[in-house]
Amino acid sequence: MASQAVPKDHVTVRTDPIPAGEAVVTLENLSLWYGDFQALHDVSLTVPKNQVTALIGASGCGKSTLLRCVNRMNDLVPSVRVEGQLSYEGVNLYDGAVDPVEVRRRVGMVFQKPNPFPKSVYENVAFGPRLHGYAGDMDALVEKSLKGAALWDEVQDKLKQSGLGLSGGQQQRLCIARAMATDPDVILMDEPTSALDPIATDRIEELIHEIKKDYTVIIVTHNMQQAGRVSDRTAFMHLGVLIEEGPTEQIFTNPQHEMTERYISGRFG
Amino acid sequence: MSLKGIGTPADQARLARRKRIGQIYRIVTGIPVVLAVLLIATLVFDVTTDTVSWHVVEPDNEGVNLSFQEGFRWFGTWEHVVTQELEARGEDPAATLGDAEERRKFGLRNRVELLWSLNGQPMRWVVSNSRDDRVASYGWFEGNRMHDELLAGLEGGEQLRLNPWLDAAFFTKNASRTPLMAGLINALVGTVWVILLVILISVPIGVGSAVYLEEYAPNNWMTRFIEVNIRNLAGVPSIVYGILGLYAFVRLMNIGPVVLSASMTLALLILPVVVIASREAIKAVPPSLRQASYGLGATRWQTTSRVVLPNAVSGIVTGVILAVARAIGETAPLLMVGAAAFIPRIPDGPFATYTVIPIQIYSWVGENDPEFANVASAGIVVLLVILVALYAVAFYLRRRFERSW
Ligand SMILES: Nc1ncnc2c1ncn2[C@@H]1O[C@H](COP(=O)(O)OP(=O)(O)O)[C@@H](O)[C@H]1O
Ligand SMILES: [Mg+2]
Repeated sequence: MASQAVPKDHVTVRTDPIPAGEAVVTLENLSLWYGDFQALHDVSLTVPKNQVTALIGASGCGKSTLLRCVNRMNDLVPSVRVEGQLSYEGVNLYDGAVDPVEVRRRVGMVFQKPNPFPKSVYENVAFGPRLHGYAGDMDALVEKSLKGAALWDEVQDKLKQSGLGLSGGQQQRLCIARAMATDPDVILMDEPTSALDPIATDRIEELIHEIKKDYTVIIVTHNMQQAGRVSDRTAFMHLGVLIEEGPTEQIFTNPQHEMTERYISGRFG
Repeated sequence: MSLKGIGTPADQARLARRKRIGQIYRIVTGIPVVLAVLLIATLVFDVTTDTVSWHVVEPDNEGVNLSFQEGFRWFGTWEHVVTQELEARGEDPAATLGDAEERRKFGLRNRVELLWSLNGQPMRWVVSNSRDDRVASYGWFEGNRMHDELLAGLEGGEQLRLNPWLDAAFFTKNASRTPLMAGLINALVGTVWVILLVILISVPIGVGSAVYLEEYAPNNWMTRFIEVNIRNLAGVPSIVYGILGLYAFVRLMNIGPVVLSASMTLALLILPVVVIASREAIKAVPPSLRQASYGLGATRWQTTSRVVLPNAVSGIVTGVILAVARAIGETAPLLMVGAAAFIPRIPDGPFATYTVIPIQIYSWVGENDPEFANVASAGIVVLLVILVALYAVAFYLRRRFERSW
């Protein structure tokens, strides 16, 4: 079922396409190979500014791979090869002149499992700014980032304690604060709540709502309700092919493609 | 399934049988542990009891101190020399040294200390009996057994005393032909110098190689070839490293039989272990932490130095200390690269001639005088204490780094 064939020349079904002017990140015919295995097939997608875009699809369909293209984390896998274009504010990130380290500064990432450094809460947040030689008021920046991640009230007395001592949900918000501290424009989240309990999940979802006024968010999620709750637009993938994308409402209430419909209604995946 | 039939006699029998078998496994697997503990306890007991012996001594606090002038030349036996000197001063040798019989005793019992001037030439001789004169010596067990007998047999002002070979003076004296005069200072300082340089050489190279292999090296046949060879090198007998050191460092690079050659040889010997231990420690750092670091825009080197190494440091330190502990106990390769059985001066740097504790012990064990067995035991205890201290440091550092990181 999940391995149901997709025609390789599938044309992504698009509803209400984003005009080029509102785009922050634009993928054009992006294909990616792990060695001989092609994980992404000619994906084209436009990510609008200050909105939340959700990537959904069955396990192994390439959501994380696509996400990691945006901050060039895939470069760390030795056998990866990318074709096509991925532009960020008009610059092709896969141009030879682009430094992936710079890209990752501007495109923050939050991972599936909370992964704070085994350091103090403060040092976790200060890690990125220190890397880049931040010369301003570090205390203020840490406070601002923690407030931005809705964690300040809970940890302001524990700044010197280990980040590992926090609860899972707090750790994940710490990771979000850590990503915010380098002042990125885009934040990528790869199933950020899959390791959390429902209450912690709620808080992260609320947080995503709040931060989108300052950031553009791309979130991978397994959880359809979550995509429905937090995202403005949704893209559905299957076996490395982007099947359909459009406003979340539209995708969930009136999917155009038959595969999307079956996935949404829980009949596969 | 229902719980009916549980706790029946058949069940109880089966349970009893399983408990019996479990008991047998526990005993069979426990035996080697008990044996090992017994063995170690025996060894430690044996060695430590050898560092004490019973001496029948004749307290004599007057002593005879004779200083000879510069330009004095040695000839004949010491007794002859001392007699000559006393006569030359217009003193009566018999008054100072006693009659012929006492002189013989004096000759047996007293020590002649040789003091060296900086250029290694004898400057003056001191004949002294300022330490109590020893009449007879018995081992710890023998002395305990014969205690009453010995007490009864004491003559004149003689006393029965317990002599600790491992006293403070053991750490201030150099090796000597006379057991009571023998100390560890030169070997101890030699060991400290050698090990210091071993650490300085092997840690940067070993940890650097581990970082390269884990974080930078491409995954190709060349890297795998190097990995396999490092593992093989860890199993090469240490004497082979000695030959290599003799050829490469002492002769080819012409460094000579000095501390530096020994350190380079031992560094080479433990490098594979340092590399392997460091790689394991680096490998154990969770990939998610590296991802977090890269995700924040860290370069490879920033990730290595700020995330990977601090998280691996407790494992690296433990590996280095275990390797260094091995190096401290090495004897064979150092015999090859020129550690001397006796050196007149305390080694004072990388280019000094040297000896180390295990070699000193080895040469003591080969001496004729049975009391050198006691001296050797004292040396062994020092060596064991150093090793235990190293393990304690490893344990402490491990705990410390684990807490802050
Ligand atoms: N580092 C990698 N090397 C080789 N194949 C990979 C790697 N990462 C992912 N893949 C493969 O790429 C496909 C997409 O994986 P992924 O992007 O993780 O999917 P998703 O996040 O949607 O579950 C899968 O078939 C997976 O096996
Ligand atoms: Mg994934």
